[in-house]
Formats: sequence, structure tokens, C-alpha cells
Amino acid sequence: MSIAVLTPTGTLGYGYGEEALKRGLTLGPQVIAVDAGSTDPGPYYLGAASALVSRISTKRELRDLIGAGREARIPVIVGSAAGAGSRWHVDWTVDIVREVARELGVRFRLAWIYADIPVERARDAVAAGDVRDFEAAAELAPETVDNCTALVAQMGHEPFIEALENGADVIIAGRACDESTVAAFPIAKGGDKALAIHMGKILECGAFSAEPFAMDVMVGTLNDDHFLLEPGSAERRASATSVAAHSLYERENPFRQYGPGYALDLSGCSFEQTGERRVRVSGSTFEPTEDYWVKLEGVEVCGYRTICIAGVRCPTMTSRIDGLLEDVRAHTLEYFASNDLHITYHVYGRDGVMGGWEPQASIRSHELGLVIDVVADEQELARAACHHASGRLLHMSYDGQYNTSGNLAFPYSPSEIDAGPAYRWSVYHLMRAESPTELFPICYEDV
Amino acid sequence: MAVEGRSLKDLAVIIRSKNAGPFRVTFDVLFRDRETYRRVCDTGALSRGSVAEAYGVPLASVSSLYEVDMCNAIKLTLVRDVVQGDIGDSDLYGAQQHVPLMDLPIPWSDHAD
Repeated sequence: MSIAVLTPTGTLGYGYGEEALKRGLTLGPQVIAVDAGSTDPGPYYLGAASALVSRISTKRELRDLIGAGREARIPVIVGSAAGAGSRWHVDWTVDIVREVARELGVRFRLAWIYADIPVERARDAVAAGDVRDFEAAAELAPETVDNCTALVAQMGHEPFIEALENGADVIIAGRACDESTVAAFPIAKGGDKALAIHMGKILECGAFSAEPFAMDVMVGTLNDDHFLLEPGSAERRASATSVAAHSLYERENPFRQYGPGYALDLSGCSFEQTGERRVRVSGSTFEPTEDYWVKLEGVEVCGYRTICIAGVRCPTMTSRIDGLLEDVRAHTLEYFASNDLHITYHVYGRDGVMGGWEPQASIRSHELGLVIDVVADEQELARAACHHASGRLLHMSYDGQYNTSGNLAFPYSPSEIDAGPAYRWSVYHLMRAESPTELFPICYEDV
Repeated sequence: MAVEGRSLKDLAVIIRSKNAGPFRVTFDVLFRDRETYRRVCDTGALSRGSVAEAYGVPLASVSSLYEVDMCNAIKLTLVRDVVQGDIGDSDLYGAQQHVPLMDLPIPWSDHAD
């Protein structure tokens, strides 16, 4: 038994090489699977019902992939649609798929899978003791559930398998475990679960596990007791090092990795170079967990943001910047006297990138890049406070000042830019599910 | 026999940081070969304590540290002091937090015993 999976890229819409896709398709994949989302880009996309990648790029790639899938008569599977995988994200993507189908003149069975968790369901689960902390370091309070703007759960491979068994040729899934999007087809065909899931974890990042690494095509082939990895592009190769190193990526524990319904053990894995460009992986094992737990992801509004970007060039200001910024913050907070006003400074050239972790104590730059970042419970207050702060900083006098005409260099008019609602992750907990599919309804349409 | 110092960046081929979920940042230090990896491990210079000091955080903020033989790598994870995307976050992907590790001093001697 040998099942080949082609992953075009690490995130749908981020690109791949045409040569790589062409060549990858000649390796005879039986499915095209691609991950479209992550929490990495932050809580905004889930909260605001906004797509991570543009419609232009998403449609362009779906056109390529669905076209290739129809021609080879193999399924195309997308997980964590449009970045965050809520109902809005799935529907947005399904819309594009219908458009692509019309334009290509192709017909197929389309399935889409939702991953939204109704607030009542989550509340009941909390009350029943069926929710536990994952990494938020706090138990989930019922009020937090109520305040969610959006709440999803990561599905495992089982809903994808159900859709495949019902004849789906194209599957657009909401929030899903990255590896499940890739592992579902091989598991449906009888592949070893541990190897399929491990292969999914590496493959879902596309050619990030190759040398040189890139957002590009990767092909994984699952066999009875091992899997093989090979990049689509002839200009890349998989090495035992690059593939093993990818088992470390974006996770805390390199040996034991949990997912819905299982624990994956990689401690006995081996990575061997077979041929110049291909790697063989074996030894991954799988233990089912007693209950089926899914990871919940939820966000709440933390306010409305307005920012101001400005440069500081004068050394007399740079050398006093800490005190000047604190003066402006204190004055602005007092002026507006609101409990829901937060003023944050990002000072590039001091500690803009590392914040509290920055070890470099002194400023060595000739200039600073300053972002005044104001979040308040209403957009109007955020804008007012931001403008007040930037105005005060622009015109303030201080000892040692040479330039009495203005302290800041603004690149734009208006100097204040409304960034809209700001969100934060409020739910990152595990919830017990009664079955792997009960939370994830599937819809079908013959397009 | 003189023991010289090296920076970790002189010994490692990859030093990277990235979010591991919204609450943690994970760091991977990969070495060219088993020998260099084992020698660095044996110095004990890359430890929870030295990392906590390099980042100016309490020891409890170092969530874990693993020696990963299968990758010739050391992996460690810090608890973020600001949750990803929350007010005050400075690095959404957590991808630019690796520099203190690059500069970490490692006792190293090129002289054979």
C-alpha cells in the first residue's frame, strides 16, 4: 500500500512554484491537501471575520489546485479555511470554489465542514467539567465564553474521512488540526495512523522541511511501515536533517504531541536519507486517548485601536525618550480619565522588537521609529487619545532641546490611523467531545 | 590548558524562535553534527538558568528545555509575558526573539586534552 499526498504550500495563498507543482503532480499523488490557517497571524482574523489571505491569491491558487485535481481525478482538501476557519471563513472560501468551478467548467461534489462551537455548548461543557486548560494558565470561566466574538474547535481527521466516504471531490473545512487536513486521506485508505499524522505534521508546512526551505510543493508517500518525503521542485531536496528539524517546528515538546483523540510519540523515530532528494521516516507511534478532546480557540474584543507612526532623529530627544514618553502617557491618561484606555509605545531602535526581553540596555541608533498604540473601549476615544499624545509629544519642550519647531517626523497625513477592533485570545482550552464528528457538521453540493 | 569562550552562534547552524501557540515562544538550536551538539550539552552552558538570565525572566518562565538527539538540537520554550496579539505584544509570530541565544557564551576549548 502506497499513498502519495501533494501539499502545494505551507498556507493556501502564500504561493508555490509552477515548475514545482507540475513536477510534483508527475509523482502520482492521490490527493492534494493544503492547510489554509493558523493562530500565528493573531486573533484578528477570527474576531473580525476576515480572511488572512486576499481573495485574489486564494482564488488564483484554488483555480490551479482544483484544476489539477479534476484533471488527475483526485480530491482537493483545504483545512482551516481563510485563516481562522469559522463559518464566515468557510462560506467565503466555498463561494470562491463555486466561482472557480464555473470558470473552469468543471463539475464535482463539494463538501464543506464547519467548526464553530455554539456558546451554549461551550457553557454547558464548562458547567459539566468537560473543559480543561491547555496553556492559558487559567480555567475557563462561563463569562469568558459569553464574551466570545467567535469560538471554533480544531477538528481531527474523522470529519474529512466522512466527507471522503460520501464522495467529496473538494473539501473545504473550517478550523482543523494542521496535520489532520493532510493525514485524513491516507488514513481513510487504511494507512497507519501514527505515520499518517506524523507525515501530516511535516507535510502541512509544504517545502519548509526541504533545503533550501520555501513556501513550495512537498510530496509525502505513506507506505506500510514508513513514509517518504520529497519536494516537488527539482531545485530543492529533503535531507534527514531538514526533515528531522521540522519535527521541532512551532511546538514545545519534540517527542510527544497531542491531537484530538490521540498522543503521538516520536521518540523512537528515525530519519534516513534515501537517494539524493528523499527522506524516509519511520518509528512514529500512536496512542488513542480515553476521551476525545478538541482544542477550542476563542477571541474577545479588547477595544478599538488607533496608531500613530513617527520618527525621532534628534539625539537630544533620543537620550531622553523614556521620560518624555512616560510624561505624555501620564498626561493623556489623566486628561481622558477613562478606565478603558491603554497607551502602549513601540520604540524601534530601543526595544520595539523584543519589549521586556530586550537585553540591550542602551540606545545606539541615530534615529528611533515610534509607534503610539492606543486601545480604548470606543474608536473615537482611541483616536482622540492618540492624537492628543502625538500632539503633546510633537510640541513638548525639554532641557537640552535645540529644535523648538517639532520633535517628531510623521510620514503620513492623517498622522493617526484607525486600526479598528482589537481582539485577544480568550479561549484556548480543551473540551471533551462525544464523538470525533458530532461538533463538525458537513454540507454537500454537486457543483 | 586555556578554556576559551565561544558564542552559541559560532557553534550552531540554526538558532530560531517561533510561537508554539499564543502563550509560548519556542526556540530551536540546531548543531552541524552530533559531536558539537553533545559537547555543547555537556558544558551545561545552555540551561534553564542561563536562558532565564539572558532574557531577564524568572526561572518559572522557562517552560521546558529538551535535548533532542534525533535532530542534534536543543529546544527550549518560554512563556510569553504578553499573550500573542494582546495589547503590548511586540512580535506577533514570535519569530525575532532569538538573538540573546546567539550571543550566549559557551565555554569552549580547541586544545585537545
